[in-house]
Amino acid sequence: MIKIVILSASVVLLSACSTIEEFVSKITGEPDVVTVEDRRGATQENIIAQDNSSFEVQNYSGTNAVVKDAVTALKEEGVVFVLHFSYDGYEIDEKSTKEIIKHANFMRDNPQVNLTLSGHADERGTREYNLALGENRALSVKEILGLYDLTTRVEVISFGEEKPISQAHDEQGWQQNRRVEFIYK
Amino acid sequence: MRFTRLLAVFVCLYSVMAHAILEVTVLKQDEEAFPIVIAPFEVVGNAKQGQEIANIMRDNFNRSGEFNASSSKDVINAEVDYDKWRSQKTEALVYGKIEKVNKKVFKVKVHLLDIYSSKELYTKEFSVHNSGIRRIAHYLSDQIYEALLGEKGSFYTRLSYITVVNKERGKREYRLEISHSDAQNPQTILVSSSPILSPAWSPDQKKIAYVSFENGRSEVFIRYPFVRRKTQKLPYFDGISSAPSWHPDGQSIALTLSKKGNKDIYSYHLKDKKLTRLTFDNSIDTEANYSPDGDSIVFTSNRSGQVQVYIKNLITGKIKRATFAGTYNAKAVFSPDGKQLVMVHRVDKDYRIALLDIKTKDLIIMTNNSLDESPYFSPNGNMIIFATNKKNQGVLSVVSLLGRETFELASKAGEVREPNWSHYSR
Repeated sequence: MIKIVILSASVVLLSACSTIEEFVSKITGEPDVVTVEDRRGATQENIIAQDNSSFEVQNYSGTNAVVKDAVTALKEEGVVFVLHFSYDGYEIDEKSTKEIIKHANFMRDNPQVNLTLSGHADERGTREYNLALGENRALSVKEILGLYDLTTRVEVISFGEEKPISQAHDEQGWQQNRRVEFIYK
Repeated sequence: MRFTRLLAVFVCLYSVMAHAILEVTVLKQDEEAFPIVIAPFEVVGNAKQGQEIANIMRDNFNRSGEFNASSSKDVINAEVDYDKWRSQKTEALVYGKIEKVNKKVFKVKVHLLDIYSSKELYTKEFSVHNSGIRRIAHYLSDQIYEALLGEKGSFYTRLSYITVVNKERGKREYRLEISHSDAQNPQTILVSSSPILSPAWSPDQKKIAYVSFENGRSEVFIRYPFVRRKTQKLPYFDGISSAPSWHPDGQSIALTLSKKGNKDIYSYHLKDKKLTRLTFDNSIDTEANYSPDGDSIVFTSNRSGQVQVYIKNLITGKIKRATFAGTYNAKAVFSPDGKQLVMVHRVDKDYRIALLDIKTKDLIIMTNNSLDESPYFSPNGNMIIFATNKKNQGVLSVVSLLGRETFELASKAGEVREPNWSHYSR
């Protein structure tokens, strides 16, 4: 997982500076001096730093230490905080339902916690449709939590395709990006 | 070695700072295109800026894909030798004169000649302020285009688009930008660390509606790029607020609002501050676009179980499905004459731009890429601008209606996306 994130981030960084070689060759007249290995090595360091801070899914936002500890404990139990979906789909499968029930029980045991469900889509299709699709995915999760009478404690936000975890333009990347994240506060 | 690497970092930084300027690449010069010579203008007094007019016009005509514009060796200021131009296979000739009247004002005279009939098709004389040189060049391009082809050009117009630049620690910088139709004179309207989507010029070209996540969720805003006026936020219910589209009268905006999870299209009247619901289905309804007469909207819906495009007649209330070919059609936009739709169309695994004749249902796939989106017509309807990926980089591309790629707009520093083409200036 981490490996994939690093790789995809390096693609982004390299593409942002794709004209370096061209520029350098123009300025120095010695294009052979900059080798590809050099540039990869130089950018990888930066990317690892990037990775820690941003692409990690946050499961907790807020200042309440009690809530934070409770969420950490839940995560240590192995409960899943990111649910994945099929292409253009917002149905919840049996496996995901089991995970949602664990979250429902957690919320019942911890009446002080509130939950934000953020819905996401992959990059395929239009941005505006994907914004709607992401909301439907988060709403599907909320619907199950509603069976446990938790509706008023759950907020839904859609980011559509705007906050991808993976930058890869392939099925593996897309699958990671079609998701709902649980963020407690 | 170390020096070279430092230099590389510096160059990269430099290109990030200069990112607002898009690079324009003319993709294909068609040899069959209309041959036109735009001669360098005769300059009287110290009117250096004047040369710009002929250069901008030449670039405009070449970018359109319909012309093959070149310069001439000499300034033309005497009797025109039609036979000479005929022998060079030139069909039209533009020449002119620019004279400095005072520090900031120039007098300009322009002529357009039809070489085959030996006739003057268009001439104009006027005064122009220094700051208006570029705009005048675009205006004259439109006039000449119309004199030659009998229909309006799309040069004296503006573009809006979003740029995205990757910053340190995985952060991104989003910019809402506007420019002239040739991507020159770029201006940043908004910088944000949150995503910006769907910019849309108002019909009077004075306002831009867009979607921003600056408050943590999608909301629709209206901004005034040319005057100091407060940004306006449009109302929303408990979910997404997105996909703004101006009514042609400029008085109201169609947008997608989610209420108790149900995403429908509403029209918001800006003066009356009144919301009117336009769609009522339980499925996703979004991406509305008004027909040029304002009597219909086209929108995307998954009501059939597939993502398809529908047209609602706002007078009769009737909704008709517009797309039947393919399993995914979305984000349709009316052509300026209201007879066609351009949209995102899925072909196997690829998302391409397709043109649909509303009456005959003929669908033509216009592009050949895999992740095309956000198509929009030029104001004369002869070109389509859209966002695509080239070498893993988001760029804007323009195709002529004949399916010919004409030009591409790219940023060295990052991605360009979500293009919108303004109406004509008034």
